[in-house]
Amino acid sequence: MLGLLAALVAAASDETRAETPAERGRYLATVGDCVACHTAPGGTPFAGGRAIETPFGPIIAPNLTPDRASGLGAWSDADFLRALRRGLRPDGARLYPACPYVYFSAVRDEDLLAIRAFLATLTPVANPARGAGFGFPFNLRPLMVFWDALYFRPAPFVADPGRSMAWNRGAYLVEGLGHCGACHGAKGALGADPEPGVLGGGRVRGWFAPDLGGDPRAGLGGWSLDDIERYLATGSNGRALAAGPMAEVVENSTARLTMADLRAIALYLKQDAPLSQPAAAPSPVPNGRIGAAIYADACAACHRANGEGVPGLFPRLAGSSAVQSARPDTLITVVLHGGRAAATGAAPTGPAMPALGWRLDDASVAAVLTYIRSAWGNEAAPVSSEAVRRGR
Amino acid sequence: MLTLAEAATLEAIVDRLIPPDELGPGGREAGCALFIDRQLAGPFGRSESLYLLPPFLDGTPEQGLQSPLTPAVRMRAGLAALEAHCRAAFVGRAFAALPPAGQDRLLSEIEDGTRSLAGVNARAWFDLVLQMTMEGFFADPIHGGNRQMAGWRLIGFPGARYDYRDWVERHGAAYTLPPVGIGGRPGWHDAG
Repeated sequence: MLGLLAALVAAASDETRAETPAERGRYLATVGDCVACHTAPGGTPFAGGRAIETPFGPIIAPNLTPDRASGLGAWSDADFLRALRRGLRPDGARLYPACPYVYFSAVRDEDLLAIRAFLATLTPVANPARGAGFGFPFNLRPLMVFWDALYFRPAPFVADPGRSMAWNRGAYLVEGLGHCGACHGAKGALGADPEPGVLGGGRVRGWFAPDLGGDPRAGLGGWSLDDIERYLATGSNGRALAAGPMAEVVENSTARLTMADLRAIALYLKQDAPLSQPAAAPSPVPNGRIGAAIYADACAACHRANGEGVPGLFPRLAGSSAVQSARPDTLITVVLHGGRAAATGAAPTGPAMPALGWRLDDASVAAVLTYIRSAWGNEAAPVSSEAVRRGR
Repeated sequence: MLTLAEAATLEAIVDRLIPPDELGPGGREAGCALFIDRQLAGPFGRSESLYLLPPFLDGTPEQGLQSPLTPAVRMRAGLAALEAHCRAAFVGRAFAALPPAGQDRLLSEIEDGTRSLAGVNARAWFDLVLQMTMEGFFADPIHGGNRQMAGWRLIGFPGARYDYRDWVERHGAAYTLPPVGIGGRPGWHDAG
């Protein structure tokens, strides 16, 4: 029964279309957003070469095109499955978990092999770039055997028969190919990922991937299913604009998924929890006048004096989850270095925020961020000058 | 860029071109000399954007200055010539030590061409000083002048705000927000 449900879940979005495995694989590779890491800036898609920054050093995502010498051309299906589900290359070397094989172990064989079939249709490109620039001892790949033993529990996806098929489809996508937890989960010791489905928020490249749980302020507690769908489909929903790493995810992946799959993801993320209202208890803020003065002069032109922004263009700050996240990394990064929102077919503008780091010193950034985290009913911890300094 | 002595002369000049009065501070307090010093030390002072190879001929007024000398060199030469003139004509006193009325008279004579200074085009030098003093009084404070936005407060200029949408519909209402510069305003650092 469980197996049957799982099969139905995996096929839920595909049942109406008669597709070749390669066509299914193209869609599934989009779900997994493989192209994001496995493409060098300005390079051929999937030909590898992009350096992925990790806390341990850079690691170069390898070539996935069917080139025999430098790509996957000489790999068997079994090699491919072993790499994605167990983190082992054909020569027995261990992958680093920058490649989210921890998540892919939950993906069904048919789906992984469909991705392989799609990758096999690509034009072979010779690009031997790969490898990690990690420092000792993390440069010793054989030591990954211990990491895998500690943190890696290969587990196939198990459907919950008490939930709807759509909910289970969402769980399969989020916990598997979508590998949402790779960013939205708090990394543990040695970069270990959290339990599947624990999406309490995590730091990634100077940004904070927000809590996707039901917290009414910092999480999705105040978001409706439609809010989540619109955000993933367009990058913009009147509550938030996708920017930074999430803008890439929206542009490359979620904006290209079927509405049925986005609805499934939304159902799973909401965990059937009802909409909850944030408790209004704003506390007085030290130096609030300075933060308010900077906000009025430097921010209010776009984000408006009442923090409501301009729908689809300038993000709303009042009641925003990103603004009230546990960690202010995203806010600091956006203010210091600027940012650009996702540009999708449905929301093609991709509005940008200018960098203000040259104009605001650390104390000023801290003051204005502390202000927006406590104004208009927002409630979140103050931001320190020291945190801003680290973000420069 | 300027020496202390040159700066003292320049401070005295800018404070006569824009004297302090009941409307607000003068050129000295507004930082005009600092603005001029920074500009002379930068690309403008070195004529970096101008073609500076010969021939050098006296052109028509419409053709602008035809000189191999950069603004920094001209400023220095003019200040030195002014000092030499004062020390010769006023028994060794520096320009800065003259009474304001005496300073005004001398500057006025240079401006209208009735007073020449040895070795320099005194009128062209005066034009340079006057132009740069006005720039220093009204340019964004980030450049060293317009200190405390004295120039902007004087004329009611609101500064570098992004837009004024909240005020567009408020016909007849007094606009009360303080001016804000590229680098902010004093209220960003103390709750003013």
